[in-house]
Amino acid sequence: MSAYLLHLAIVGGIYIILAISLNLIIGYAGQVSLGHAAFYGIGAYISALTSLLWHFPFPLAALSAILFAGICGLLLGLPTLRLKEDYLAIVTLGFGVIVDMVFLNLEITGGPDGLPGIPKPSFLGFSFRSPGLYLFLTLLAVLLTLALTYRLVHSYHGRALRAIRDHEVTAQVMGINTPAYKVAIFTLAAALAGLAGSLYAHYITFINPESFGLHTSILILCMVVLGGMGSLLGAVVGALALTVLPELLRQFKAYQDLAYGALLIGLLIWRPQGLLGSGKLSLKFLERKG
Amino acid sequence: MFLQQLLNGLTAGAVYALIALGYTMIYGILGLINFAQGEIYMCGAFVAVLLLGTGQVNFYVAFAAGMGAAALLGVVLERVAFRPLRGSHPLVPLISAIGASIFLQSLALLIFGPNDRPFPIQFTFSTITIAGLPLSSLQGAILAAALGFMALLVVFVRYTRYGKAIVACALDRDTARLMGINVDRMVSLTFLIGSALSGAAGIMMAIYYNATYPRMGLLPGLKAFSAAILGGVGSIPGAIFGGLLLGVAESLGAAYVSSGYKDAVAFAILILVLLFRPQGILKGRGD
Repeated sequence: MSAYLLHLAIVGGIYIILAISLNLIIGYAGQVSLGHAAFYGIGAYISALTSLLWHFPFPLAALSAILFAGICGLLLGLPTLRLKEDYLAIVTLGFGVIVDMVFLNLEITGGPDGLPGIPKPSFLGFSFRSPGLYLFLTLLAVLLTLALTYRLVHSYHGRALRAIRDHEVTAQVMGINTPAYKVAIFTLAAALAGLAGSLYAHYITFINPESFGLHTSILILCMVVLGGMGSLLGAVVGALALTVLPELLRQFKAYQDLAYGALLIGLLIWRPQGLLGSGKLSLKFLERKG
Repeated sequence: MFLQQLLNGLTAGAVYALIALGYTMIYGILGLINFAQGEIYMCGAFVAVLLLGTGQVNFYVAFAAGMGAAALLGVVLERVAFRPLRGSHPLVPLISAIGASIFLQSLALLIFGPNDRPFPIQFTFSTITIAGLPLSSLQGAILAAALGFMALLVVFVRYTRYGKAIVACALDRDTARLMGINVDRMVSLTFLIGSALSGAAGIMMAIYYNATYPRMGLLPGLKAFSAAILGGVGSIPGAIFGGLLLGVAESLGAAYVSSGYKDAVAFAILILVLLFRPQGILKGRGD
């Protein structure tokens, strides 16, 4: 039983990183990404491939995963983030579908069979073989992510981002380079998702495309909306809640996606600030023209 | 070979254009991308297939019922998932639409199961050769029906009171309201028409590919959105033109470049358009 709890804690930790990174895009830059699982998958595959093919030690493999996912985010963000938020949602949805197709069709990724036998991380003669030690590693990554994002959102740059979210034109008038900020935050979020992917790959030691599809992107989105868009603590709570709840309600697994869809609509209508959000996003200060 | 591919592309493109019209009309009036458009398309196909499967109704009744069910779903969706959120941050209705899309898709999965369903009735189609170009009468029928629907829509929007009222709402919702137009009713009407067209597209594709399944709306939805962007989102002629162009590009890309990445063509076009001409090929708004 305690082994099971450890497993849940590690998976929960990985989801926390994913939820926080997506929350940067949604809650702070005011954009929606539907392809977050694609960056997660890119991180997992890059980390797995570098350690399987070139025997990279874990830190180097994780670093390549972060860098590669970040570069993909940059390349995807550059053309789309100059435009309205709706475009990013569709482009990332398409990106998710394409990445899924690439994982399934490439020879090097093992196609639908995936990649087995990914080594457990070990460096400086120290091996994170046992789940307890792996939890320690995961917590370290979660704390680093939290510290980084906390510092970021409470800095000048964090305020600039929120200004963009709340009113982009006003932010521009104030001299904020809005496209640059949006691209930078999207790249950072993609890189963090890459880190989560690397942690996942070396923990489960087997990956296949199934874990990184649209379903996962939606799950992460639900975590962010449930916890509260624009709240770091909310992302943590949302991620943990949606890691534990499906385990408790396992006999209703067939209804999971149905529940996620209903949860998204219901939350936005009755509690748009989520569990812990500040409620800023819900204020009807932005009368839409149209 | 080239002409054959061109024709295949035009057939698929006409169907994309029908869905793209739904996207573009709803975007025009609400500034909202209705993510669930692909699921409305799927709903139309399922209703028609199930009705025909009972053997009680003829094809035309089933077709009309499929369109009607799709239209109803669109209107209900607007009431439940979009109207309560009007006036909030643009992010909010967008996420709600994503929720609606995932909800409908998994509902269909629960009710109908994951397997493909063939179209219940067989049509006997002949191949006519016109000027050396082999035209299957199925393709001809789909093209003709799709173009017919588009022509009806253009006439409706240009020349009827309700059509003009929709255009007025798309141009300026507040002024339209001051002119005595019931904006809520026009929004419902827009959803009704856009969804009925998507439903019709779904039924046509269910016949063309002989397969109906819960996730059938995902890729056509994505491609139709690319088509709407390509033509300039918010513009009706743009959606038609964009859909046809995308269908042809996809078909030619599959034939001459690589058939494995056929579905990636639409996405590549979307990125290129966003990079170089984000306002679309035909610039326009509201009409």
